[in-house]
Amino acid sequence: MQPDELEQLHPASYAWSLACCRRDPVEAEEVLQDVYVKILEGKARFGGRSSLKTWLFAVIRRTAASRARKRIVRDLILARWARQRADTPAAEYSDTAAILLGALQKLARRQREVLELVFYHDMTIEEAAAALGVSIGSARVHYQRGKQRLLAQLDGKLDR
Amino acid sequence: MNDDDLRRAFAELRRIESRAPKYAVPAPGRRLSRWRVGSVLAFALVLLLVVIGVAILPHHHPLQPSITEWRAPTDFLLKTPGHELLDSVPDLKGHVR
Repeated sequence: MQPDELEQLHPASYAWSLACCRRDPVEAEEVLQDVYVKILEGKARFGGRSSLKTWLFAVIRRTAASRARKRIVRDLILARWARQRADTPAAEYSDTAAILLGALQKLARRQREVLELVFYHDMTIEEAAAALGVSIGSARVHYQRGKQRLLAQLDGKLDR
Repeated sequence: MNDDDLRRAFAELRRIESRAPKYAVPAPGRRLSRWRVGSVLAFALVLLLVVIGVAILPHHHPLQPSITEWRAPTDFLLKTPGHELLDSVPDLKGHVR
């Protein structure tokens, strides 16, 4: 894989990294940098079994999850700091985006991830399944249930 | 509310979040995360404080006692019951006729 291929996918990668980091821009950048280093050092290798974007999104998701696990103890110790981090993102979003994000946060993690990959990143459910490392059937179920819950939560709120 | 409304809402979210930071990749093997940098700095600070503490604190070298004043810690073992009779000369004046 060439660095310019990574650069082409950079905006989409950053957006997905944001989604995996609860919209924390600082953490999203850290995750993305870790991912790029992993790839350029050969610790993560593209096997060609899926599209490059799907594979890259899977690496981003795994890296974000790994960093989140390591952060648990640190955030417990620095609880106040962690709360400030969690509070930071909301201000920049429009009403529509804030309502959508609020509704997404109420979904189960898998449902939220599938919906973001399909609606935000224009992936097919098959690609989303590959990026999340789940079966297509499972991804379809998450997609259907997640979409129903999201539509129910947003009903009447976005029309105002 | 239908799929199209959902797509429009996601499109707006995507537009807001489209300002990605500039693509930059650090040199492999040379990157230190902020957490690691913080850890290294904290460790260096602690090390510095320890070194300064050791350098500043007065050193107490106990004075060596003179050999004439020195007493063995097991001296008390030599003090047997009735040792005062052996350590002094008895006064015989009153008893000699």
